[in-house]
Amino acid sequence: MSFLVHMYYIDATNFERLLKKLSGEGELYVPVRNAETEKLRLERVDTFPLPEGTTFDGYRTVEPLKAIAQLLRYPVAEYPSTDGDDMPDEASFPKTFIVGARGCDILAMALIDKVQIEGEFADAFYKIRRDKMVVVGADCTECGKSCFCTLLGNKPWPERGFDLSVAKVRGGYVVEPGTEVGEKIVGNNRDLFAGAQDQHVRERGQSRAALVRRLETQNAAYPKTDTLPPIVRGALTDEIWEDICAHCIECGGCTNICPTCYCFLLYDQAADGGHFQRISAMDSCQVTGYSRMAGMLNPRARLIDRVKHRYYHKYDYLVLSHGAIYCTGCGRCIDVCSASIDMRDAFRRIKDKAGSRKE
Amino acid sequence: MNNPYYPIDTLVEDVITETPTIKTFVLAPARPIKFKSGQFMQLTVPGVGEAPFTPSSDPRETEKMEITILRTGSVTEALHALKPGAEVGLRGPFGKGYPIDKMAGKEVLIVGGGVGLAPLRTLIYTLLDEPAKYKRISIKYGARMPEELCFRRQYDEWGKAARNVDFTHTIDVPAPNWSGRVGLVTTLLDKLDINLENSIAISCGPEIMLKFVTLKLLEVGYTPPQIYLSMNRKMSCGMGKCARCNVGHYYLCVDGPDMCYDKIKHVPNVFG
Repeated sequence: MSFLVHMYYIDATNFERLLKKLSGEGELYVPVRNAETEKLRLERVDTFPLPEGTTFDGYRTVEPLKAIAQLLRYPVAEYPSTDGDDMPDEASFPKTFIVGARGCDILAMALIDKVQIEGEFADAFYKIRRDKMVVVGADCTECGKSCFCTLLGNKPWPERGFDLSVAKVRGGYVVEPGTEVGEKIVGNNRDLFAGAQDQHVRERGQSRAALVRRLETQNAAYPKTDTLPPIVRGALTDEIWEDICAHCIECGGCTNICPTCYCFLLYDQAADGGHFQRISAMDSCQVTGYSRMAGMLNPRARLIDRVKHRYYHKYDYLVLSHGAIYCTGCGRCIDVCSASIDMRDAFRRIKDKAGSRKE
Repeated sequence: MNNPYYPIDTLVEDVITETPTIKTFVLAPARPIKFKSGQFMQLTVPGVGEAPFTPSSDPRETEKMEITILRTGSVTEALHALKPGAEVGLRGPFGKGYPIDKMAGKEVLIVGGGVGLAPLRTLIYTLLDEPAKYKRISIKYGARMPEELCFRRQYDEWGKAARNVDFTHTIDVPAPNWSGRVGLVTTLLDKLDINLENSIAISCGPEIMLKFVTLKLLEVGYTPPQIYLSMNRKMSCGMGKCARCNVGHYYLCVDGPDMCYDKIKHVPNVFG
């Protein structure tokens, strides 16, 4: 089988050796299971052996990758300029290795890249962080109750956008390079890798198929969300949205934790030496002030207009402007919601309504 | 690649009081800024923040730029306190600008309200530079009170700029010592002697005015593709990244700020 040429196998001990080596070249981030909550957190580690709880099993971490690529808050300019150079100093940005990134989160980064890097203007800071980010993906070995990647036609493993990707098999991992950077990591550490055997690849395939079946079973009651854009566009009645957001407490948690939500606000503050700093900070379209203008004008003053906007932006506007649904089915917004609002359920209601209207 | 968030150091050369709440700032940026009529700038008051404004000056002038601003929020409050000699910052230009290429040979109807005449002034400069390129240039302007009329010093000059140009202005409510027209700007659209089929209408003003101007234009026979509106939304980045200035799937900072009504007429709460 020809694809085997590009597949490798690494045992668990050698994998840790590899990570130790990578940690010497930059900042290493891995999933670490929190003993108390049992959730995976994306943590920077620089001690070996890897800290207790480090695992490449399970599913997505609490933190999406935007926490490292876009950051919650970062300075984008200091003015008036001290040295005439208003560009970020590339050398001051660390190289980062994100190991154990899941398919949904890797897809999400490609979506934010479209906004932050493509087009007439690019966010130079974001671009440097992305250029210096090496992504080692990992197959999900479980799924959360809120996971719904398959409803969007996505898979619970990295399909693209990774430098290397690992899938757990007996004793170690099947390793698939996705870029030249990934090939180089293997090439430079050839002694740690072996060629993947047929049985390894078979095992990976079986695990993947089993997990897809699990996801399909747990989401059987919900509509395929990849077919939603035209339906969302038609669901204009306020009634449906009032129903969806009846218990929303407007905390903004859903947008903050979303791996594809990238909205930010620029604000200025005083810096040293009589200078000023411009900060880019993540913002949420779910809070009232988000679209409020001078003179207190606000086109989305009502909560239902803000909630509606979130669904429209993800499932309609960005499809029209950037060619993609800005949701990867990670389910974080479901986990985080204090009001138990479930996007899958919202879409089921919208679809039911759209269906009944046609009749 | 450069850093699009960095504001170009800019000197406030002069401050002209237009009305009790509107001032024109004459700005000299550290390097010339070339903009197209209708494109907008992000103007920084150091330490306070930025706000988007379309310049009000002639786009052919790149060394200096005028921006005419109504005092209405935190940034504009700080701007109004500035004196000549103050340092500010400029980013831009952003946006598409007015659809000038669609105006050639057309009867151009310009409808402004209050400080909305400021962005339209760049359009007026551009059109009056070559009036023969257009069949007609008809400018209608309204403000609440006589003292709120912007650029009064130029009305005569504009109205007499060429044979195919006319300028009419009105105030909303009667005022002492006012012998001119009284009535909302929409009353100037009641008896238009314009060949509607060959016309394009451009409007800028408060959202409530845009709404009624649009309704009036539709009533007198304009079609949505002929109507362009300077829409207002909260902006931050100016380049389609921060995502807040959307009207439907369009970002005003990239696709506007002047939007063809045909593209946005289906958007719920389009006029806020």
